[in-house]
Amino acid sequence: MTRFFYPSLAVVAVTVMSLLPLTLDPQGYEIRILCIAMLFAALGQAWNIVGGLANQISLGHAAYFGIGAYTSTILLRLFSLSPWLGGILGMVLAVLFALLLSVPTVRLKGHYFALATLGAGEAMRVIANSWASVTGGPVGISVPYSRESSLWMMQFPTVLPNYYLFLIALVIICLVFWKIQTGALGFRLRAIKENEQAAEVIGVDTYRAKLIASTVSAAITAFMGTLYAQFQFFFDPDTVFGVATISVKMALIAILGGVGTLLGPLLGAAFIIPMEEFANSYFGASVAGLSQFAYGVILVVIILINPRGLVALIGQIKNRIFSKGGSQ
Amino acid sequence: MKRSKLSTSVAALTRRSVLATGAAALAMPALTGRGFAQEAVNVGVIVPLSGANAQFGINSRNGIQLVADEINANGGIKSMGGAQINLVIADATSNPTQAATVAQRMMSQDNVVAVLGAFASSLTLAISEVTERRGVPLLTMSFSDQITDRGFQNVFQIVSPGSQIGAATFDFTRALAQEAGQTLEKIAIMYEDTAYGTSQSAGLRKAAQDAGIEVVMDEAYPLGITDVSPLINQLRRSDAQVVFPVSYLNDSLLIVRSMRQQGINIPTIGGAAGYIIPDFREGLGDLADNVLSISPAAYDQAPDYTERFREKFGYFMVHEAQEHAACMGCLHSALEAAGSADHAAIREQLQNSVFDQGWATVMSGGKVEFDEMGRNIHASPLMVQWRGGELVTVYPKEYATGEVVWNS
Amino acid sequence: MQSITTFFQTLIDGVLIGGVYAVISIGLSLVFGVMHIVNFAHAEFLMLGMFIAWFAWAYAGIDPMLGAFIALIITFFIGMGMQRVLIKPIIGAPQVAQIFLTVGLLFAMENGALLLFGADFRSVSTSYQTQALTLFSGESGRILVPLDKLYAFLMALLSGASLWFFLNRTSWGRAMRATSQDPMAAKLMGINTDKMYMIAFGLGVGTTAFGGAVILPYITASPTVGSQFVVLMFTAVVLGGLGSVAGAVVGGIMVGLIQSFSALILPIQLQNLTLFVIFILVLALKPEGLTARRRS
Repeated sequence: MTRFFYPSLAVVAVTVMSLLPLTLDPQGYEIRILCIAMLFAALGQAWNIVGGLANQISLGHAAYFGIGAYTSTILLRLFSLSPWLGGILGMVLAVLFALLLSVPTVRLKGHYFALATLGAGEAMRVIANSWASVTGGPVGISVPYSRESSLWMMQFPTVLPNYYLFLIALVIICLVFWKIQTGALGFRLRAIKENEQAAEVIGVDTYRAKLIASTVSAAITAFMGTLYAQFQFFFDPDTVFGVATISVKMALIAILGGVGTLLGPLLGAAFIIPMEEFANSYFGASVAGLSQFAYGVILVVIILINPRGLVALIGQIKNRIFSKGGSQ
Repeated sequence: MKRSKLSTSVAALTRRSVLATGAAALAMPALTGRGFAQEAVNVGVIVPLSGANAQFGINSRNGIQLVADEINANGGIKSMGGAQINLVIADATSNPTQAATVAQRMMSQDNVVAVLGAFASSLTLAISEVTERRGVPLLTMSFSDQITDRGFQNVFQIVSPGSQIGAATFDFTRALAQEAGQTLEKIAIMYEDTAYGTSQSAGLRKAAQDAGIEVVMDEAYPLGITDVSPLINQLRRSDAQVVFPVSYLNDSLLIVRSMRQQGINIPTIGGAAGYIIPDFREGLGDLADNVLSISPAAYDQAPDYTERFREKFGYFMVHEAQEHAACMGCLHSALEAAGSADHAAIREQLQNSVFDQGWATVMSGGKVEFDEMGRNIHASPLMVQWRGGELVTVYPKEYATGEVVWNS
Repeated sequence: MQSITTFFQTLIDGVLIGGVYAVISIGLSLVFGVMHIVNFAHAEFLMLGMFIAWFAWAYAGIDPMLGAFIALIITFFIGMGMQRVLIKPIIGAPQVAQIFLTVGLLFAMENGALLLFGADFRSVSTSYQTQALTLFSGESGRILVPLDKLYAFLMALLSGASLWFFLNRTSWGRAMRATSQDPMAAKLMGINTDKMYMIAFGLGVGTTAFGGAVILPYITASPTVGSQFVVLMFTAVVLGGLGSVAGAVVGGIMVGLIQSFSALILPIQLQNLTLFVIFILVLALKPEGLTARRRS
């Protein structure tokens, strides 16, 4: 029974998610929140490949996200190139950047890796700000508004098609994560997480494993950047290369949900995005700063209750219920 | 009008408590308003209430609130059976993604007739992508050129675009120098590398080049710079006759103080933002005197209106409050003329009316009129100068309320 | 050419601001050295120190250089309490949990300050703010030492020296160092390690708050001021070696010098890019920091 339980649960979840928007206003608020939640679930899952499986805590993933968003948008503006092709080019550039960054960082661990990647993300932001002739600089960049609907150009009159693009992307990324997690690469990465030296002793090419994981993660993150650009239509360097808005947030979603688990980023995004919205709509106007304050406090509280996140917390609750039933 | 240190802090204190009670009062109509949904007209207000721009967001909210309260006290919107204005206020944060989501929420759940906001250009641009697609009018005082050069039909910019403000900064300065008998040959520009800094300095630079003036220093610096010494050293070496710093408050204080430390006393013409708020004067004291700045609007142009703001909130009506109030004024007239909450009808009125009544008159020229692009054709930047604790308009002549003091 | 005066002016500017970076980074390094926790919320204590000094100035007329001591004392106790409630439970927890607890704290503190103090920018006015010493004046230009930065630098030196004295010349300091090297052994030797952690955290945030207060004459206080410093602080600490107090001083002054000299060659806009590149290279080539000695 368990063999079919999780796959069938996944099928049910995907079916529900595909039918859900049909009941909603296609230009509405709820659908936008769902889109953002799926975007961040996908980003959290991408982060999870390096951050979760190999415990390489990256705080610079915004670099890849921004590369994706800027590459497709710049090419679209200059040559009317389809964002699909621009997105693929963005993925290539992100992979190149990941390889470049791996040269100085691949041997770093823990806090040192986190700080180095933080610096890399910030460096990209400074470049995007200063290189105004290409990026438009701090003023930001707009995707030209087309009143015609076109899948090839990723321009739609409602948010509904964007919703399905996000959903498909999320499903694919979850499959990629699951494939890596259960495959040979996943075992290697977990070996690195447990004890890198021991992993090397037993013959794991740790360098190669980390490199593959980080390039896959970078490519996925970059493509999500393109999807974001075609959904939001306007962005600036501070938004797509932001530490708090992207880098920390995608890590946060994976960590809060449960780091290194398939369900973690999904739970994390399903919790954080609506919570932010709730805080913004109920406290945002009345007292300045209250919503962000509440956000910070909730984060601290969850980590204090269980440092391993929501998945562990749910497991804990489940165990308590079952063990009660079992022992009596 | 010299204020001592103590009275300054007392003023700051009352201002805070005023804000707090204002915020509490705000929550009330928002709750009661929904009970009379068919009566009230919901107007969306999206401004940054947290993050680095919170102060400007709060000022903007105060300006809009003042106008809405006055409209409601005078019997609401008469053509709509005295419907009350209900402001739906939300925090835009400092994140454009969030700002766009807030706009979406207001349109879907609160059914707003129009949106006002959002101070920072990046937030306004993100919001406009959402409002345009649903045909909801957006009135703004953000001045990025990009806001109105994308061919959008539902966005209305009440101030001159950034490039024009930048150009005016230079042109006005040259005219003022000429009057004082000085011929400008060398100028220095320093600006923060934000949307505001770069777009305004671009206009300034171009105007200077068109006039054949040498820009001997032209330096961008990162937002949140902790030490401006390199900038000021460069300014000292550059031999410029005037300096144009385009920056927010912290940098503006740093720049003016460091210039005084180094004994540089050339005319300083700020680029709005940090140079025309009460905190500039509070931070610098008498050093602020005679500092010039460009401003998209000035409270001394319409004291009958702007003094009401000072009475209520305890500080002069800062330009973002004034411009947002003017946006609300235009929207009020458009609602009266349209007589309905229909977005298209309101847009029609905004596009085709001349607004010369009520709060719309606080803008230069005493009226507002939008062209095809959504730009206010009567908008003119003004040159203001600090005099004691007040800002005085000194140029262009037809708007001036005082004589310029020019130290060459 | 004015190159000689320019060079010395750049050197002086770099050292003066670098001294301030040093004092605000010492605390961060101390916290990491003793507890092995990277505190992303650390710059928020700088903000807290600035606000305390501002209130002391605005309501009691106390100069920020003296207000700094009030800031130190108040944040010391706040820090001890926070360590007890928030940091203690996560010592030894996975690194991801440690990082994100302090990130949550950062959001809460920044916006808590907005709730408490409002969004206004707070700045002091003092007589020395617009004065400068002229070290040299001649054909080739002038060399100036701004007084506000000089005072802040001297106060930074004072606090750094006091902390060094505390750690190396007092029994509590020795106990703290013992705790950082081997908490189990320290415990066995009868050291109350819990107390040491609390004091270390209190001192760490206290010195940073002190550093915030002494720069109040030239930096405006606002709830988001911490974000201006957070990356600079981390760069200083990493350049000097995470956990090394002396290293943080060297790192801070290096950051100041890199910033000011970078402005001579490259556009000022890129000063932080130079910094980040050096930062990543140092991490890659010598992650233990530039000042680290080989351990036997």
